[in-house]
Amino acid sequence: MNFTKAKIRDLRKMLDSGEISAKELCGEYFKNIDEKDESLLSYITVTKDEALKSAEKAQKMIDEKQAKALTGIPLAIKDNICTDGIKTTCASKMLGDFVPPYNASVIEKLNEQGYVLLGKTSMDEFAMGGSTQTSAFKKTKNPYDLERVPGGSSGGSAAAVSASLAPAALGSDTGGSIRQPSSFCGVTGIKPTYGRVSRYGLVAFASSLDQIGPIANDAHDCAILLNAVCGYDRHDATSARIDVPDFTEKLGQPIKGMKIALPKEFYSDAIDGCVKDAVLSAAKELEKQGAVLEECSMPGLKYAIPAYYLIACAEAASNLSRFDGIKYGFRGEGRTFNDLIIDSRNKGFGEEVKRRILLGNYALSSGYYDAYYKKALALKQEIIKEYNEIFEKCDVILTPTAPTPAYKIGAQDNDPVKMYTADICTVTVNIAGLPGISTTCGYEKDSGLPIGMSIIGKRFDEQTILQTADAWEQGFTPVAPEF
Amino acid sequence: MAVDMKTIEHLCGLSKLSYDEKGMEKVMGEMSDIIDLMDEIKGFDLTYDDTKDNNEIRFCDTREDIPEKSFDTQKLLQNAENTDNCYVVPKVVE
Repeated sequence: MNFTKAKIRDLRKMLDSGEISAKELCGEYFKNIDEKDESLLSYITVTKDEALKSAEKAQKMIDEKQAKALTGIPLAIKDNICTDGIKTTCASKMLGDFVPPYNASVIEKLNEQGYVLLGKTSMDEFAMGGSTQTSAFKKTKNPYDLERVPGGSSGGSAAAVSASLAPAALGSDTGGSIRQPSSFCGVTGIKPTYGRVSRYGLVAFASSLDQIGPIANDAHDCAILLNAVCGYDRHDATSARIDVPDFTEKLGQPIKGMKIALPKEFYSDAIDGCVKDAVLSAAKELEKQGAVLEECSMPGLKYAIPAYYLIACAEAASNLSRFDGIKYGFRGEGRTFNDLIIDSRNKGFGEEVKRRILLGNYALSSGYYDAYYKKALALKQEIIKEYNEIFEKCDVILTPTAPTPAYKIGAQDNDPVKMYTADICTVTVNIAGLPGISTTCGYEKDSGLPIGMSIIGKRFDEQTILQTADAWEQGFTPVAPEF
Repeated sequence: MAVDMKTIEHLCGLSKLSYDEKGMEKVMGEMSDIIDLMDEIKGFDLTYDDTKDNNEIRFCDTREDIPEKSFDTQKLLQNAENTDNCYVVPKVVE
Protein backbone atom coordinates (compact mmCIF):
# COMPACT_ATOMS: atom_id res chain seq x y z
CA MET A 1 0.00 0.00 0.00
CA ASN A 2 1.38 3.41 -0.97
CA PHE A 3 0.15 5.57 1.88
CA THR A 4 1.59 8.74 0.39
CA LYS A 5 -0.92 8.65 -2.47
CA ALA A 6 -3.88 8.66 -0.08
CA LYS A 7 -6.19 11.58 0.65
CA ILE A 8 -6.34 13.14 4.13
CA ARG A 9 -9.74 11.56 4.85
CA ASP A 10 -8.40 8.11 3.94
CA LEU A 11 -5.30 8.63 6.07
CA ARG A 12 -7.62 9.54 8.96
CA LYS A 13 -9.35 6.15 8.65
CA MET A 14 -6.02 4.31 8.39
CA LEU A 15 -4.64 6.04 11.47
CA ASP A 16 -7.80 5.48 13.50
CA SER A 17 -8.05 1.82 12.53
CA GLY A 18 -4.39 1.19 13.38
CA GLU A 19 -3.51 0.22 9.81
CA ILE A 20 -0.57 2.60 10.15
CA SER A 21 0.81 4.58 13.09
CA ALA A 22 1.42 8.34 13.03
CA LYS A 23 5.18 7.69 13.26
CA GLU A 24 5.13 5.20 10.38
CA LEU A 25 3.06 7.58 8.25
CA CYS A 26 5.41 10.54 8.57
CA GLY A 27 8.29 8.08 7.97
CA GLU A 28 6.72 7.19 4.61
CA TYR A 29 6.69 10.85 3.60
CA PHE A 30 10.27 11.41 4.79
CA LYS A 31 11.33 8.41 2.68
CA ASN A 32 9.75 10.11 -0.36
CA ILE A 33 11.36 13.43 0.52
CA ASP A 34 14.80 11.79 0.90
CA GLU A 35 14.43 10.04 -2.45
CA LYS A 36 12.89 12.80 -4.52
CA ASP A 37 13.41 16.26 -3.10
CA GLU A 38 17.03 16.46 -4.16
CA SER A 39 15.76 17.00 -7.71
CA LEU A 40 12.40 18.67 -6.93
CA LEU A 41 13.74 21.18 -4.36
CA SER A 42 10.36 21.76 -2.72
CA TYR A 43 11.48 21.95 0.94
CA ILE A 44 13.82 24.54 2.43
CA THR A 45 13.79 22.89 5.86
CA VAL A 46 12.82 19.29 6.66
CA THR A 47 11.82 18.78 10.31
CA LYS A 48 12.36 15.08 10.99
CA ASP A 49 13.15 15.33 14.71
CA GLU A 50 10.21 17.61 15.48
CA ALA A 51 7.93 15.42 13.37
CA LEU A 52 8.77 12.27 15.28
CA LYS A 53 8.00 14.00 18.58
CA SER A 54 4.69 15.36 17.22
CA ALA A 55 3.83 11.94 15.82
CA GLU A 56 4.28 10.37 19.26
CA LYS A 57 1.93 12.94 20.80
CA ALA A 58 -0.56 12.41 17.98
CA GLN A 59 -0.44 8.64 18.42
CA LYS A 60 -1.32 9.08 22.08
CA MET A 61 -4.39 11.13 21.07
CA ILE A 62 -5.36 8.43 18.55
CA ASP A 63 -4.86 5.60 21.06
CA GLU A 64 -7.01 7.46 23.60
CA LYS A 65 -9.73 7.94 20.95
CA GLN A 66 -9.23 11.71 21.16
CA ALA A 67 -8.22 12.13 17.51
CA LYS A 68 -9.37 15.20 15.59
CA ALA A 69 -9.54 15.60 11.80
CA LEU A 70 -5.81 16.28 11.43
CA THR A 71 -4.36 14.30 14.35
CA GLY A 72 -1.27 12.50 13.07
CA ILE A 73 -1.67 13.94 9.55
CA PRO A 74 1.66 15.18 8.16
CA LEU A 75 1.58 18.61 6.52
CA ALA A 76 4.01 20.97 4.79
CA ILE A 77 3.99 24.68 5.62
CA LYS A 78 5.08 27.55 3.39
CA ASP A 79 8.23 29.15 4.71
CA ASN A 80 6.65 32.55 5.36
CA ILE A 81 4.41 31.21 8.15
CA CYS A 82 6.11 31.55 11.54
CA THR A 83 6.92 28.34 13.41
CA ASP A 84 8.26 28.68 16.95
CA GLY A 85 11.84 27.39 17.13
CA ILE A 86 11.92 26.35 13.45
CA LYS A 87 13.61 28.47 10.79
CA THR A 88 11.24 30.66 8.74
CA THR A 89 13.23 32.18 5.91
CA CYS A 90 10.68 33.58 3.42
CA ALA A 91 13.21 32.12 0.93
CA SER A 92 15.30 35.24 1.48
CA LYS A 93 18.91 35.69 2.49
CA MET A 94 17.51 38.46 4.69
CA LEU A 95 15.83 35.85 6.95
CA GLY A 96 18.19 32.96 6.19
CA ASP A 97 18.82 32.22 9.88
CA PHE A 98 15.62 33.64 11.35
CA VAL A 99 14.02 31.46 14.03
CA PRO A 100 10.63 32.89 15.09
CA PRO A 101 9.98 33.24 18.83
CA TYR A 102 6.29 32.41 18.34
CA ASN A 103 3.86 30.41 16.23
CA ALA A 104 1.51 31.88 13.66
CA SER A 105 -2.14 31.50 14.74
CA VAL A 106 -2.72 28.89 12.02
CA ILE A 107 0.15 26.82 13.45
CA GLU A 108 -1.37 27.05 16.94
CA LYS A 109 -4.65 25.79 15.48
CA LEU A 110 -2.90 22.91 13.72
CA ASN A 111 -1.02 22.06 16.92
CA GLU A 112 -4.36 21.81 18.75
CA GLN A 113 -5.36 19.26 16.13
CA GLY A 114 -2.16 17.27 16.69
CA TYR A 115 -0.76 17.64 13.13
CA VAL A 116 2.75 16.60 12.20
CA LEU A 117 5.02 19.17 10.51
CA LEU A 118 7.06 17.64 7.68
CA GLY A 119 8.93 20.84 6.88
CA LYS A 120 8.90 24.35 5.48
CA THR A 121 8.41 24.69 1.75
CA SER A 122 10.14 26.93 -0.74
CA MET A 123 8.54 29.99 -2.30
CA ASP A 124 9.39 33.12 -4.21
CA GLU A 125 11.38 35.47 -1.99
CA PHE A 126 8.91 37.20 0.36
CA ALA A 127 6.13 35.69 -1.83
CA MET A 128 7.03 38.06 -4.67
CA GLY A 129 6.82 36.09 -7.89
CA GLY A 130 4.93 33.43 -9.75
CA SER A 131 7.62 30.84 -10.41
CA THR A 132 9.47 30.05 -7.13
CA GLN A 133 12.62 30.97 -9.08
CA THR A 134 13.25 34.08 -6.95
CA SER A 135 13.86 31.82 -3.92
CA ALA A 136 17.30 32.43 -2.47
CA PHE A 137 17.57 28.78 -1.41
CA LYS A 138 15.51 26.25 -3.38
CA LYS A 139 14.32 27.02 -6.89
CA THR A 140 11.56 24.40 -6.96
CA LYS A 141 10.77 22.51 -10.16
CA ASN A 142 7.50 21.23 -11.57
CA PRO A 143 6.92 17.50 -10.90
CA TYR A 144 5.25 17.13 -14.33
CA ASP A 145 8.40 18.41 -16.08
CA LEU A 146 11.55 19.26 -14.16
CA GLU A 147 12.50 21.83 -16.79
CA ARG A 148 9.42 23.88 -15.96
CA VAL A 149 8.43 26.14 -13.07
CA PRO A 150 5.96 24.95 -10.41
CA GLY A 151 4.34 28.39 -10.30
CA GLY A 152 4.45 30.61 -7.28
CA SER A 153 4.81 32.00 -4.91
CA SER A 154 3.66 28.87 -3.01
CA GLY A 155 5.47 26.66 -5.56
CA GLY A 156 7.17 24.49 -2.93
CA SER A 157 3.86 23.66 -1.24
CA ALA A 158 2.10 22.85 -4.55
CA ALA A 159 5.00 20.78 -5.92
CA ALA A 160 5.35 18.84 -2.65
CA VAL A 161 1.65 17.89 -2.67
CA SER A 162 1.70 17.05 -6.38
CA ALA A 163 4.77 14.79 -5.99
CA SER A 164 3.35 13.06 -2.85
CA LEU A 165 5.96 14.61 -0.57
CA ALA A 166 3.06 15.83 1.63
CA PRO A 167 -0.67 14.99 1.62
CA ALA A 168 -1.50 18.69 1.90
CA ALA A 169 0.14 22.00 2.68
CA LEU A 170 -0.50 25.58 3.67
CA GLY A 171 0.36 28.37 1.26
CA SER A 172 -0.35 32.08 1.15
CA ASP A 173 -2.03 34.05 -1.62
CA THR A 174 -1.54 37.78 -2.26
CA GLY A 175 -2.28 37.85 -6.00
CA GLY A 176 -2.73 34.19 -6.94
CA SER A 177 0.10 32.54 -5.01
CA ILE A 178 -1.98 29.53 -3.92
CA ARG A 179 -4.14 29.15 -7.03
CA GLN A 180 -1.56 29.57 -9.81
CA PRO A 181 0.98 27.01 -8.47
CA SER A 182 -1.92 24.64 -7.75
CA SER A 183 -2.89 25.01 -11.41
CA PHE A 184 0.70 24.45 -12.65
CA CYS A 185 1.22 21.39 -10.43
CA GLY A 186 -2.18 19.73 -10.97
CA VAL A 187 -3.49 20.05 -7.41
CA THR A 188 -6.32 21.98 -5.73
CA GLY A 189 -5.76 25.19 -3.76
CA ILE A 190 -8.14 27.65 -2.13
CA LYS A 191 -7.61 31.29 -1.26
CA PRO A 192 -10.19 32.02 1.47
CA THR A 193 -12.10 35.29 1.87
CA TYR A 194 -9.96 38.09 3.31
CA GLY A 195 -10.44 37.89 7.08
CA ARG A 196 -11.44 34.22 7.15
CA VAL A 197 -8.01 32.98 8.27
CA SER A 198 -5.80 34.87 10.71
CA ARG A 199 -2.71 36.50 9.21
CA TYR A 200 -0.98 36.70 12.60
CA GLY A 201 2.46 35.17 12.11
CA LEU A 202 2.34 35.32 8.32
CA VAL A 203 5.32 37.44 7.26
CA ALA A 204 3.54 40.35 5.57
CA PHE A 205 3.89 41.12 1.87
CA ALA A 206 0.75 43.23 1.22
CA SER A 207 -1.43 43.30 4.33
CA SER A 208 -4.73 44.18 2.61
CA LEU A 209 -4.36 41.31 0.13
CA ASP A 210 -2.51 38.45 1.93
CA GLN A 211 -4.43 35.36 3.00
CA ILE A 212 -3.31 31.89 4.13
CA GLY A 213 -5.01 28.85 2.59
CA PRO A 214 -4.73 25.12 1.92
CA ILE A 215 -3.28 23.22 -1.04
CA ALA A 216 -4.31 19.57 -1.30
CA ASN A 217 -5.13 16.77 -3.71
CA ASP A 218 -8.77 17.75 -4.05
CA ALA A 219 -11.47 20.14 -2.85
CA HIS A 220 -12.60 17.76 -0.09
CA ASP A 221 -9.13 17.70 1.51
CA CYS A 222 -8.93 21.50 1.14
CA ALA A 223 -12.22 21.76 3.05
CA ILE A 224 -10.90 19.56 5.86
CA LEU A 225 -7.75 21.67 6.22
CA LEU A 226 -9.72 24.93 5.95
CA ASN A 227 -12.01 23.77 8.78
CA ALA A 228 -8.93 23.50 11.00
CA VAL A 229 -7.33 26.88 10.33
CA CYS A 230 -10.30 29.28 10.09
CA GLY A 231 -11.79 31.50 12.73
CA TYR A 232 -11.57 34.81 14.54
CA ASP A 233 -8.22 35.71 16.08
CA ARG A 234 -7.74 38.60 18.49
CA HIS A 235 -4.16 39.01 17.23
CA ASP A 236 -5.34 40.05 13.75
CA ALA A 237 -7.49 43.20 13.55
CA THR A 238 -8.74 42.18 10.10
CA SER A 239 -9.78 38.72 11.26
CA ALA A 240 -13.53 38.40 10.76
CA ARG A 241 -15.90 37.87 13.67
CA ILE A 242 -18.12 35.58 11.68
CA ASP A 243 -19.37 32.05 12.22
CA VAL A 244 -17.26 29.36 10.59
CA PRO A 245 -19.41 26.73 8.88
CA ASP A 246 -18.35 23.13 8.25
CA PHE A 247 -16.73 23.48 4.83
CA THR A 248 -17.37 19.82 4.02
CA GLU A 249 -21.13 20.24 4.53
CA LYS A 250 -22.11 21.06 0.93
CA LEU A 251 -19.68 18.62 -0.70
CA GLY A 252 -21.52 16.06 -2.78
CA GLN A 253 -24.67 18.17 -3.03
CA PRO A 254 -25.94 18.58 -6.63
CA ILE A 255 -25.21 21.84 -8.43
CA LYS A 256 -28.50 21.78 -10.35
CA GLY A 257 -29.72 25.34 -10.91
CA MET A 258 -26.43 26.92 -9.80
CA LYS A 259 -25.69 30.02 -11.88
CA ILE A 260 -22.09 30.14 -13.12
CA ALA A 261 -20.85 33.42 -14.60
CA LEU A 262 -18.25 33.49 -17.40
CA PRO A 263 -16.83 37.06 -17.68
CA LYS A 264 -15.80 37.45 -21.32
CA GLU A 265 -12.65 39.48 -20.52
CA PHE A 266 -11.15 36.37 -18.84
CA TYR A 267 -11.39 34.49 -22.14
CA SER A 268 -9.55 37.04 -24.34
CA ASP A 269 -6.73 36.43 -26.81
CA ALA A 270 -4.24 36.89 -23.94
CA ILE A 271 -5.24 33.40 -22.76
CA ASP A 272 -3.72 30.35 -24.48
CA GLY A 273 -6.16 28.43 -26.67
CA CYS A 274 -5.56 25.17 -24.80
CA VAL A 275 -6.43 26.85 -21.49
CA LYS A 276 -9.62 28.45 -22.85
CA ASP A 277 -10.73 25.16 -24.42
CA ALA A 278 -10.14 23.21 -21.20
CA VAL A 279 -11.99 25.71 -18.97
CA LEU A 280 -14.94 26.13 -21.35
CA SER A 281 -15.17 22.37 -21.78
CA ALA A 282 -15.33 22.03 -17.97
CA ALA A 283 -18.06 24.69 -17.95
CA LYS A 284 -20.07 22.55 -20.39
CA GLU A 285 -19.65 19.53 -18.11
CA LEU A 286 -20.94 21.55 -15.16
CA GLU A 287 -23.87 22.60 -17.36
CA LYS A 288 -24.60 18.91 -17.97
CA GLN A 289 -24.80 18.51 -14.19
CA GLY A 290 -27.56 21.13 -14.14
CA ALA A 291 -25.65 24.38 -13.69
CA VAL A 292 -26.73 27.41 -15.72
CA LEU A 293 -23.97 29.27 -17.59
CA GLU A 294 -24.28 33.06 -17.88
CA GLU A 295 -21.97 35.23 -19.96
CA CYS A 296 -21.10 38.53 -18.30
CA SER A 297 -18.55 41.34 -18.39
CA MET A 298 -15.88 42.77 -16.11
CA PRO A 299 -14.45 45.88 -17.84
CA GLY A 300 -12.20 46.73 -14.87
CA LEU A 301 -10.02 43.69 -15.60
CA LYS A 302 -8.22 45.78 -18.22
CA TYR A 303 -6.60 47.83 -15.45
CA ALA A 304 -6.27 45.08 -12.85
CA ILE A 305 -2.52 44.46 -13.24
CA PRO A 306 -1.38 48.06 -12.57
CA ALA A 307 -3.99 48.44 -9.80
CA TYR A 308 -2.79 45.27 -8.09
CA TYR A 309 0.94 45.99 -8.42
CA LEU A 310 0.58 49.58 -7.21
CA ILE A 311 -1.37 48.55 -4.10
CA ALA A 312 0.70 45.43 -3.37
CA CYS A 313 4.07 47.13 -3.85
CA ALA A 314 3.07 50.22 -1.85
CA GLU A 315 2.18 47.95 1.07
CA ALA A 316 5.31 45.84 0.52
CA ALA A 317 7.57 48.90 0.60
CA SER A 318 6.09 49.76 3.98
CA ASN A 319 6.06 46.20 5.37
CA LEU A 320 9.62 45.44 4.31
CA SER A 321 11.01 48.63 5.83
CA ARG A 322 11.28 46.66 9.09
CA PHE A 323 14.19 44.66 7.66
CA ASP A 324 17.10 46.81 8.73
CA GLY A 325 19.58 44.18 9.95
CA ILE A 326 19.35 45.37 13.53
CA LYS A 327 16.58 43.57 15.41
CA TYR A 328 16.71 40.40 13.31
CA GLY A 329 17.64 39.30 9.84
CA PHE A 330 20.78 39.61 7.75
CA ARG A 331 23.24 42.20 9.03
CA GLY A 332 25.56 43.96 6.63
CA GLU A 333 28.43 46.29 7.40
CA GLY A 334 28.66 50.04 7.81
CA ARG A 335 30.33 52.62 9.96
CA THR A 336 27.17 54.67 10.30
CA PHE A 337 23.64 53.68 11.22
CA ASN A 338 22.38 54.54 7.72
CA ASP A 339 25.21 52.68 5.94
CA LEU A 340 24.55 49.59 8.04
CA ILE A 341 20.86 49.57 7.07
CA ILE A 342 21.56 50.15 3.36
CA ASP A 343 24.25 47.45 3.24
CA SER A 344 21.99 44.97 5.07
CA ARG A 345 19.16 45.57 2.61
CA ASN A 346 21.41 45.61 -0.46
CA LYS A 347 22.87 42.20 0.42
CA GLY A 348 19.81 40.69 2.12
CA PHE A 349 17.15 41.29 -0.55
CA GLY A 350 17.05 39.77 -4.03
CA GLU A 351 16.53 41.78 -7.22
CA GLU A 352 12.75 41.24 -7.55
CA VAL A 353 12.11 42.30 -3.96
CA LYS A 354 14.18 45.45 -4.51
CA ARG A 355 12.25 46.29 -7.69
CA ARG A 356 8.94 46.02 -5.83
CA ILE A 357 10.16 48.19 -2.95
CA LEU A 358 11.25 50.84 -5.46
CA LEU A 359 7.90 50.67 -7.27
CA GLY A 360 5.99 50.90 -3.98
CA ASN A 361 7.94 53.96 -2.89
CA TYR A 362 7.43 55.49 -6.33
CA ALA A 363 3.65 55.06 -6.05
CA LEU A 364 3.60 56.56 -2.56
CA SER A 365 6.02 59.41 -3.12
CA SER A 366 5.14 63.05 -3.38
CA GLY A 367 3.91 64.00 -6.85
CA TYR A 368 2.93 60.46 -7.82
CA TYR A 369 0.59 59.43 -4.97
CA ASP A 370 -2.62 60.77 -6.55
CA ALA A 371 -1.78 59.62 -10.08
CA TYR A 372 -0.89 56.07 -9.10
CA TYR A 373 -1.78 54.92 -5.59
CA LYS A 374 -5.09 56.76 -5.24
CA LYS A 375 -6.07 55.74 -8.78
CA ALA A 376 -5.33 52.12 -7.85
CA LEU A 377 -7.59 52.44 -4.80
CA ALA A 378 -10.34 53.87 -7.05
CA LEU A 379 -9.95 50.85 -9.29
CA LYS A 380 -10.20 48.56 -6.30
CA GLN A 381 -13.61 50.12 -5.55
CA GLU A 382 -14.64 49.67 -9.18
CA ILE A 383 -13.57 46.01 -9.24
CA ILE A 384 -15.48 45.31 -6.02
CA LYS A 385 -18.53 46.99 -7.59
CA GLU A 386 -18.25 44.92 -10.76
CA TYR A 387 -17.96 41.68 -8.77
CA ASN A 388 -21.00 42.67 -6.67
CA GLU A 389 -23.02 43.27 -9.84
CA ILE A 390 -22.13 39.82 -11.20
CA PHE A 391 -22.98 38.17 -7.89
CA GLU A 392 -26.43 39.78 -7.89
CA LYS A 393 -27.26 37.41 -10.78
CA CYS A 394 -24.89 34.48 -10.30
CA ASP A 395 -23.65 32.14 -7.57
CA VAL A 396 -20.05 31.62 -8.69
CA ILE A 397 -17.70 32.84 -11.42
CA LEU A 398 -15.57 30.52 -13.56
CA THR A 399 -12.26 31.69 -15.07
CA PRO A 400 -8.91 30.25 -16.11
CA THR A 401 -6.35 30.28 -13.26
CA ALA A 402 -3.40 31.26 -15.46
CA PRO A 403 -3.05 32.32 -19.11
CA THR A 404 -0.77 29.35 -19.87
CA PRO A 405 0.26 26.00 -18.41
CA ALA A 406 3.64 25.89 -16.58
CA TYR A 407 6.36 27.58 -18.64
CA LYS A 408 10.06 26.71 -18.97
CA ILE A 409 12.44 27.77 -16.21
CA GLY A 410 14.15 30.97 -17.35
CA ALA A 411 11.43 31.95 -19.84
CA GLN A 412 10.45 35.04 -17.84
CA ASP A 413 13.86 35.85 -16.32
CA ASN A 414 14.85 39.48 -16.61
CA ASP A 415 11.39 40.44 -17.83
CA PRO A 416 9.37 41.73 -14.87
CA VAL A 417 6.61 43.12 -17.11
CA LYS A 418 5.96 39.68 -18.62
CA MET A 419 5.99 38.17 -15.13
CA TYR A 420 3.49 40.72 -13.80
CA THR A 421 1.01 40.47 -16.69
CA ALA A 422 0.84 36.67 -16.22
CA ASP A 423 -1.11 37.32 -12.97
CA ILE A 424 -4.12 38.73 -14.85
CA CYS A 425 -6.50 35.85 -14.02
CA THR A 426 -5.97 35.86 -10.25
CA VAL A 427 -5.28 39.36 -8.87
CA THR A 428 -8.83 40.74 -8.90
CA VAL A 429 -9.92 38.11 -6.37
CA ASN A 430 -7.39 39.49 -3.87
CA ILE A 431 -8.26 43.11 -4.71
CA ALA A 432 -11.93 42.36 -3.93
CA GLY A 433 -11.12 40.10 -0.92
CA LEU A 434 -13.14 37.21 -2.36
CA PRO A 435 -12.62 33.44 -2.00
CA GLY A 436 -11.29 31.52 -5.02
CA ILE A 437 -10.37 27.90 -5.63
CA SER A 438 -8.27 26.42 -8.43
CA THR A 439 -8.72 22.83 -9.53
CA THR A 440 -7.36 20.90 -12.50
CA CYS A 441 -9.72 20.91 -15.50
CA GLY A 442 -7.54 19.21 -18.11
CA TYR A 443 -4.05 18.58 -19.48
CA GLU A 444 -2.23 20.16 -22.41
CA LYS A 445 -2.43 17.65 -25.26
CA ASP A 446 1.24 17.33 -26.21
CA SER A 447 3.07 18.11 -22.98
CA GLY A 448 0.59 16.58 -20.53
CA LEU A 449 0.92 19.68 -18.34
CA PRO A 450 -2.03 20.39 -16.02
CA ILE A 451 -4.44 23.26 -16.72
CA GLY A 452 -6.32 24.89 -13.86
CA MET A 453 -9.66 26.65 -13.63
CA SER A 454 -10.72 29.03 -10.87
CA ILE A 455 -14.09 29.18 -9.20
CA ILE A 456 -14.68 32.51 -7.46
CA GLY A 457 -17.35 32.94 -4.81
CA LYS A 458 -19.20 35.56 -2.84
CA ARG A 459 -17.55 36.95 0.26
CA PHE A 460 -17.40 34.25 2.97
CA ASP A 461 -19.10 31.70 0.71
CA GLU A 462 -16.25 29.21 0.51
CA GLN A 463 -18.81 26.41 0.87
CA THR A 464 -20.28 27.01 -2.59
CA ILE A 465 -16.95 27.17 -4.43
CA LEU A 466 -15.82 24.00 -2.65
CA GLN A 467 -19.12 22.35 -3.61
CA THR A 468 -18.65 23.37 -7.27
CA ALA A 469 -15.00 22.25 -7.42
CA ASP A 470 -15.96 18.96 -5.78
CA ALA A 471 -18.83 18.43 -8.25
CA TRP A 472 -16.35 18.85 -11.11
CA GLU A 473 -13.69 16.64 -9.51
CA GLN A 474 -16.18 13.78 -8.99
CA GLY A 475 -16.37 13.33 -12.76
CA PHE A 476 -12.73 14.06 -13.55
CA THR A 477 -9.83 11.60 -13.57
CA PRO A 478 -6.62 13.35 -12.53
CA VAL A 479 -3.30 12.21 -14.00
CA ALA A 480 -0.52 12.18 -11.38
CA PRO A 481 2.98 13.22 -12.43
CA GLU A 482 5.34 10.34 -13.27
CA PHE A 483 8.02 11.97 -11.15
CA MET B 1 12.44 56.37 -20.38
CA ALA B 2 9.53 56.75 -17.95
CA VAL B 3 11.97 57.49 -15.09
CA ASP B 4 15.30 59.28 -15.03
CA MET B 5 18.42 58.72 -12.95
CA LYS B 6 17.46 61.47 -10.49
CA THR B 7 14.14 59.74 -9.73
CA ILE B 8 15.87 56.39 -9.24
CA GLU B 9 18.37 57.97 -6.84
CA HIS B 10 15.46 59.53 -4.92
CA LEU B 11 13.65 56.17 -4.74
CA CYS B 12 16.83 54.43 -3.56
CA GLY B 13 17.07 56.97 -0.75
CA LEU B 14 13.45 56.33 0.29
CA SER B 15 13.97 52.57 0.02
CA LYS B 16 17.34 52.43 1.84
CA LEU B 17 18.91 50.70 -1.14
CA SER B 18 21.87 51.55 -3.36
CA TYR B 19 23.34 50.38 -6.67
CA ASP B 20 26.67 50.85 -8.39
CA GLU B 21 26.75 52.76 -11.69
CA LYS B 22 26.05 49.70 -13.86
CA GLY B 23 23.29 48.56 -11.50
CA MET B 24 21.67 52.00 -11.64
CA GLU B 25 21.51 51.86 -15.46
CA LYS B 26 19.97 48.38 -15.32
CA VAL B 27 17.39 49.21 -12.67
CA MET B 28 16.47 52.45 -14.48
CA GLY B 29 15.64 50.43 -17.61
CA GLU B 30 13.61 47.87 -15.66
CA MET B 31 11.73 50.50 -13.66
CA SER B 32 10.92 52.41 -16.84
CA ASP B 33 9.31 49.30 -18.35
CA ILE B 34 7.39 48.64 -15.14
CA ILE B 35 6.17 52.24 -14.87
CA ASP B 36 5.06 52.15 -18.51
CA LEU B 37 2.87 49.20 -17.50
CA MET B 38 1.60 51.08 -14.42
CA ASP B 39 0.80 54.09 -16.63
CA GLU B 40 -2.04 52.10 -18.21
CA ILE B 41 -4.01 52.97 -15.09
CA LYS B 42 -4.12 56.58 -16.28
CA GLY B 43 -6.62 55.47 -18.94
CA PHE B 44 -9.11 54.75 -16.18
CA ASP B 45 -11.22 57.78 -15.36
CA LEU B 46 -12.66 57.54 -11.88
CA THR B 47 -12.16 59.45 -8.67
CA TYR B 48 -11.25 57.71 -5.47
CA ASP B 49 -13.88 57.97 -2.74
CA ASP B 50 -12.16 57.43 0.58
CA THR B 51 -15.49 57.14 2.39
CA LYS B 52 -16.11 53.91 0.50
CA ASP B 53 -12.68 52.36 0.93
CA ASN B 54 -12.55 48.96 2.59
CA ASN B 55 -16.24 49.26 3.46
CA GLU B 56 -16.64 45.56 2.85
CA ILE B 57 -13.84 44.52 5.17
CA ARG B 58 -14.88 44.12 8.76
CA PHE B 59 -12.26 45.52 11.05
CA CYS B 60 -12.68 44.19 14.54
CA ASP B 61 -12.70 46.25 17.69
CA THR B 62 -9.31 47.12 18.99
CA ARG B 63 -8.56 45.29 22.20
CA GLU B 64 -8.48 46.92 25.60
CA ASP B 65 -5.18 48.50 26.59
CA ILE B 66 -4.46 46.07 29.40
CA PRO B 67 -0.86 45.08 30.16
CA GLU B 68 -0.23 41.40 29.66
CA LYS B 69 2.75 39.09 29.60
CA SER B 70 4.64 39.34 26.35
CA PHE B 71 7.63 37.54 24.89
CA ASP B 72 10.72 36.74 26.87
CA THR B 73 13.46 39.32 26.11
CA GLN B 74 16.12 36.67 25.53
CA LYS B 75 13.87 34.89 23.07
CA LEU B 76 13.24 38.11 21.16
CA LEU B 77 16.96 38.86 21.05
CA GLN B 78 17.88 35.40 19.74
CA ASN B 79 17.73 36.62 16.15
CA ALA B 80 19.76 39.80 16.62
CA GLU B 81 23.24 39.52 15.18
CA ASN B 82 24.95 41.49 17.87
CA THR B 83 23.48 41.53 21.36
CA ASP B 84 24.46 42.50 24.84
CA ASN B 85 20.98 42.01 26.25
CA CYS B 86 19.97 44.80 23.88
CA TYR B 87 20.21 45.67 20.19
CA VAL B 88 23.68 46.93 19.30
CA VAL B 89 24.07 49.48 16.50
CA PRO B 90 26.99 51.58 15.18
CA LYS B 91 27.72 54.72 17.17
CA VAL B 92 25.18 57.38 16.29
CA VAL B 93 26.85 60.20 18.26
CA GLU B 94 30.66 60.47 18.03
